[in-house]
Amino acid sequence: MLQIEPNNLLVQKTLTERIFPDSESLRSVDRIITDFDFTTYHISTLPDQKNLLLISIYLKCFGDLTKYGVIDYLNGKYAKYSQYLSVLSGNDVEQGYDYSLVLDLNELESIDDEGKNDVINELSFLKRHAMAAPFEKAFARYDELTQTYANSNTYSEEVQQELQNEEVLVIKYRGSDECIYIKPSFDRVTVIFSTVFQDETDKIFGKVFLQEFVDARKRSVQTAPQVLYSHKEAPLDIQNYVQGKKDDENKGYITFVLFPRHLVKGDRRDNCISHIQFFRNYFHYHIKCSKAYMHSRMRFRVKEFLKILNRAKPENVDDEGKAIENRKTASGRRFDVGRV
Amino acid sequence: MASMGTPAVVMDNGTGLTKLGFAGNDSPSYVFPTAIATSTASKATRGGRSTALSSKRGLEDLDFFIGDEALEAANGPSYGLSYPIKHGQIEDWDHMERFWESSIFKYLRCEPEDHYFLLTEPPLNPPENRESTAEIMFESFNCAGLYIAVQAVLALAASWTSPKVQDRSLSGTVIDSGDGVTHVIPVAEGYVIGTAIKNIPLAGRDITLFIQQLLRDRGEADTSLQTAEKIKQQFCYVCPDIVQEFNKFDQYPQEKFAQYIVEYAERKATVDVGYERFLAPEIFFNPEICSSDYLTPLPTVVDLVIQASPIDVRKKLYKNIVLSGGSTMFKDFGKRLQRDLKGLVNERIQRSERSSGAQSTGVDVQVISHKKQRYAVWFGGSLLAQTAEFKSYCYTKSDYDEYGPSIVRNFSLFSVP
Repeated sequence: MLQIEPNNLLVQKTLTERIFPDSESLRSVDRIITDFDFTTYHISTLPDQKNLLLISIYLKCFGDLTKYGVIDYLNGKYAKYSQYLSVLSGNDVEQGYDYSLVLDLNELESIDDEGKNDVINELSFLKRHAMAAPFEKAFARYDELTQTYANSNTYSEEVQQELQNEEVLVIKYRGSDECIYIKPSFDRVTVIFSTVFQDETDKIFGKVFLQEFVDARKRSVQTAPQVLYSHKEAPLDIQNYVQGKKDDENKGYITFVLFPRHLVKGDRRDNCISHIQFFRNYFHYHIKCSKAYMHSRMRFRVKEFLKILNRAKPENVDDEGKAIENRKTASGRRFDVGRV
Repeated sequence: MASMGTPAVVMDNGTGLTKLGFAGNDSPSYVFPTAIATSTASKATRGGRSTALSSKRGLEDLDFFIGDEALEAANGPSYGLSYPIKHGQIEDWDHMERFWESSIFKYLRCEPEDHYFLLTEPPLNPPENRESTAEIMFESFNCAGLYIAVQAVLALAASWTSPKVQDRSLSGTVIDSGDGVTHVIPVAEGYVIGTAIKNIPLAGRDITLFIQQLLRDRGEADTSLQTAEKIKQQFCYVCPDIVQEFNKFDQYPQEKFAQYIVEYAERKATVDVGYERFLAPEIFFNPEICSSDYLTPLPTVVDLVIQASPIDVRKKLYKNIVLSGGSTMFKDFGKRLQRDLKGLVNERIQRSERSSGAQSTGVDVQVISHKKQRYAVWFGGSLLAQTAEFKSYCYTKSDYDEYGPSIVRNFSLFSVP
């Protein structure tokens, strides 16, 4: 598995089992499912109505996301299923969770299988859609800026100043240490990840990886977004937005510069969002995979060395050049037969 | 720690099936074969002499499948299937490491740095294996915390959901019957009495094969292994007495004989289900009907196991006999076991009363079956891992960094809430 899929397999599986049940009897469901970055789903049937399925999601950064209009965005995404999927708002949202949907299985019965699968799929993308809201917002702003500056001299001092002051979207998706910063401009959108490594080994692996990312563009993948990496010091664009300690030894910043060709409306844009928001998970996943690979090579090597060592064991030879059996017991005594 | 709110991950890797899920759920999220399909092409390069750096830049190590997908992929030409766990113990660490990698990231979708993990191990697992497990969990995955529990102890904990259990103690006899082997494991105060463990080479697969044999002898329309498996799951039960049951079949053939319909793509076949309904599970109680080299019935084995345990825990072991695993799911399995075992025990008590003349206070024999029996080990793990104290029993990454792998040789036991 090279990629990390943007949808949640377990949500998909749980819903599929529920919507296409093996047996006739409807059993109640109460499941907790997690996703990356402290995301928790809760799928449960309502206590008195087993045909209603409550799907709730908790995201650590939901507070930030609401600032960037996530609720409207999600409502829009799920509006086309409104016949059997209703969004809970305000106080109805399940306690401890941020966003709740209710799926009516009775209503869903009338839909053909393709339609059912469509709903299941769309629901398994819940986290992806939630995280996509600020990106969509930033990309919309980029569209706006492109319009505004289409005919002006963008090298002029004033325009540069205006762009400089453009608002940065901050998503503290793993607490204040690890954030995503998005800054739209008229000809690009800059996405900056701040990362902190808990582990020393990871830090080294991470550096090597990031170096590869930076170099990849030079070598073969010319259409890839530009990647920059800076250690400890935040890029100028976001310096005013960084919270917490400014000179943390373990902190790094990865900058992606998305160019207009990545921001073409439609599939390309969606694809871009799906990929970039999972960057951290992808990154850490591959660090772990490389460690596993290293371990397998180490085991292989150790096995080889042991073979060599075993071959090199000195053989005891008596005066006539015959090998002496010199097996010992654990306590060091020999099996000397006939000799004392 | 950042991982306060996230549920713990419970992974029960068995010889045949792996059970994965999150603590707090009532059943595992995934149950799939502990199988991994690796691409055969990569093996050739790894074993070969090519040490040039360029040959190591590939992504062959990511080209693999686990679980059901592995079985599917292995049907194709370019993948080879392997089972990293043999007899309950991990044999191939390379494959196991990748198996975990995929189960965590692809199936459970969690960042191991944010979660605590509860893994299981078979009784008598060597401490070196525990250390290797900890090395992988902490060094490859940087998991936040780790607890390795013995399967039998978790099965005991799972039985607390049964209304028959009054005191939540960690003493009892666990009968764990999966697909390959049946274990009888005595546990006293949370510690496995290793010297008294006994294995029975009869389990789920033998029952299925026995049914298949019976079907073939009768010349049924469909005698595939899947059919036998389905019949085992749907129709089999344990009877109190074979002779009487045969009589019942003769008297009321309408009620007792059943039919199983096999559906193919284009046609249907009907398979009659007869005496195998009660004969198949009977091999636990009368092994001679199926095997010629293993002849000790299960109740006798349980009795022997308890008699081999220290004398001061025997009463507790008799009182709390817990079933776990899919092959103990037959209807009335617990009842029959309890009755047979009681017979054995009472006979012995009478004998000793006769020879000594003293009055015995009697021994309470109780077999506990409960609803969560099939995945009892996983469920017990889920129960324990959702308690607030769980995290204080785990070793964290910083503990590991401080003391090294040998720290996992001992885990403190769960105190009984």
